[in-house]
Amino acid sequence: MAAVTVGPPPARRRGRRHLPVWHVLWIIVAGAYFLVPIISLVQFSFGGLVNGHSAGFHWYATVFADPNFRSSFWLSVQIAIETVVLSNLLLIPTTFWIHLRLPRLRPVMDFVSVLPFVVPPIVLIVGLIPFLTPFTFLYSRPEVLAFIYVVFALPFLYRSLDAGLRAINLRTLAEASANCGGSTWSTLVRVVLPNLRSAVIVGSFLTVAIAMGEFTISSLLSFNTFPVYLFNIGQTTGNEAAALSVISLLLTWALMVSLYLVGRGGRTTAQVAATR
Amino acid sequence: MARIELRGLHKQFGGGVVALDRLDLEVASGEFVSLLGPSGCGKTTALRIVAGFEYPDEGEVLVDGADVLHLPASRRNMGMVFQSYSLFPNMSAKSNVEYPLRIRRQPRAERDRRARDLLGLVGLAKQVDRYPHQLSGGQQQRVALARALAHEPGVLLLDEPLSALDAKVRVQLREEVRRIQLELGITTLYVTHDQEEALSISDRVAVMSEGRVEQVGTPAEVYVRPRTAFVASFVGTVNRLEARVVSSVERTVRCGEVVLTVGADVFDHSDGTSVALYLRPEDVGLRTTLNGDGDNGLPGRVRSVTFLGPVTRVGVDCGLGALVADVSSETALGLSLDQPVSVVVDSARLRTIAAG
Repeated sequence: MAAVTVGPPPARRRGRRHLPVWHVLWIIVAGAYFLVPIISLVQFSFGGLVNGHSAGFHWYATVFADPNFRSSFWLSVQIAIETVVLSNLLLIPTTFWIHLRLPRLRPVMDFVSVLPFVVPPIVLIVGLIPFLTPFTFLYSRPEVLAFIYVVFALPFLYRSLDAGLRAINLRTLAEASANCGGSTWSTLVRVVLPNLRSAVIVGSFLTVAIAMGEFTISSLLSFNTFPVYLFNIGQTTGNEAAALSVISLLLTWALMVSLYLVGRGGRTTAQVAATR
Repeated sequence: MARIELRGLHKQFGGGVVALDRLDLEVASGEFVSLLGPSGCGKTTALRIVAGFEYPDEGEVLVDGADVLHLPASRRNMGMVFQSYSLFPNMSAKSNVEYPLRIRRQPRAERDRRARDLLGLVGLAKQVDRYPHQLSGGQQQRVALARALAHEPGVLLLDEPLSALDAKVRVQLREEVRRIQLELGITTLYVTHDQEEALSISDRVAVMSEGRVEQVGTPAEVYVRPRTAFVASFVGTVNRLEARVVSSVERTVRCGEVVLTVGADVFDHSDGTSVALYLRPEDVGLRTTLNGDGDNGLPGRVRSVTFLGPVTRVGVDCGLGALVADVSSETALGLSLDQPVSVVVDSARLRTIAAG
């Protein structure tokens, strides 16, 4: 009786798998869609002539030498830090309490947390200005932006914390802590927060990204934050604006890499779940 | 060690579900009492009320005579082991055990010594630096036990701590729980639905049903002398036969055409009343020689033979219904399906409970 062979011959099985031409073409088109503008931007940031010579890093040097760059960048960093601190102070205890004691409020929080996506920033600020006007001491200070950005950061930070709390067996951990003599504060600080490290860091990075990149409100309230400065430079010197954009992109990518490293370094959800 | 009294505990959840129905129970100092019952009988609710995680609608929880209901869980000085793994994932085994001592601001050296001692007591001296995700389920529950004992609580509460473990680990760990309890002499309240677990490690067992304690007694009392139909049927395997009292003086009952004499049990049924007879499989003997001469012999036929290891469970149809008998596996070798047998009942072991 003849032997029956099932499946491709071994040599072919070991051979490289070839992607269909259309798949390769599609990947190239998609890659080009994102890469061409970036490459053009980088090229433009090195473009033009300065004193008859190629510009090289001239526009970057100009950016870093400009005191307005440093002040606007530092202002945005300060506001970002304030936003992160405020958002976490507000949302960590709130989310913890809702998960532990008021789970019925979770759908309400889910709804509230998506509102900043629905309400455009221009609408929000037009509504906020009459409210803020009487509070001159706040209205005139850039810190007011941090209070406003907390609202924009809400969906990102809340979702991140919510997912983090869902991944741990909060009720049992809180009861175990109480049984050991721990107060609610001890439970939050010593038991829950360390297990929310990744969620807090991820949410905070996203908050930083929002605070560093927000233009509409800071422009309308006449604060010279980094995005406003970038816009103003773009109105006058195209190459310098391109250099600024490249710096901005590099900062964003650095943030993304940090996110990835933090996520890898932190405890995974599977590890947490395995201890349930 | 502390003495616990539960007095008239009543708890009703939303939707009218009565979790506890005037529950009374006393646990003596240093005693190991198990709350045994099916799912939903209220045993975990009772334990959580003692721990301070639930509050009763009515009733009292006294520890050494003092009502503790007004105290939050964190101030009741009780140690608890939970059903689900409750170790803090961010802490090593040692840090978990040290946690109650850190809360009490004990010196670092004292915390370290106590945590190592307790982890040694539960057999994890070499795993002190492991994190929960690096430990097996059984090891995690050992750490949880060590943590529950770290602050030297007056009462140890265990809420089905072994239910998530495999059978072999469960048996090992329950023996260790008992060994440690005896060594420390700590008052212990243990919740389980596993009758074998409850019977094997407890000083007394409280069998619960529908929020009430049906019977409290030593494991032997509960098993051998069940007071209610529920206890008889829930604890162990049991044969139930319908019968009618012939003579309350002579303690005889008629079961079909056979008159049986009931043993030394409390017999407070009047003549002519319907009763249920309860009989453990190991108290049913089988004879293959049919003389029809025994007072308690019932004619029957073998309907099933199930090998269980040391014993074989034989199902017999004796005309009054299906009975099961546990006979030694060696004896059972000679049995075959449909074989006529005589069912011999140990009258001293017959329990009568008024038919409900």
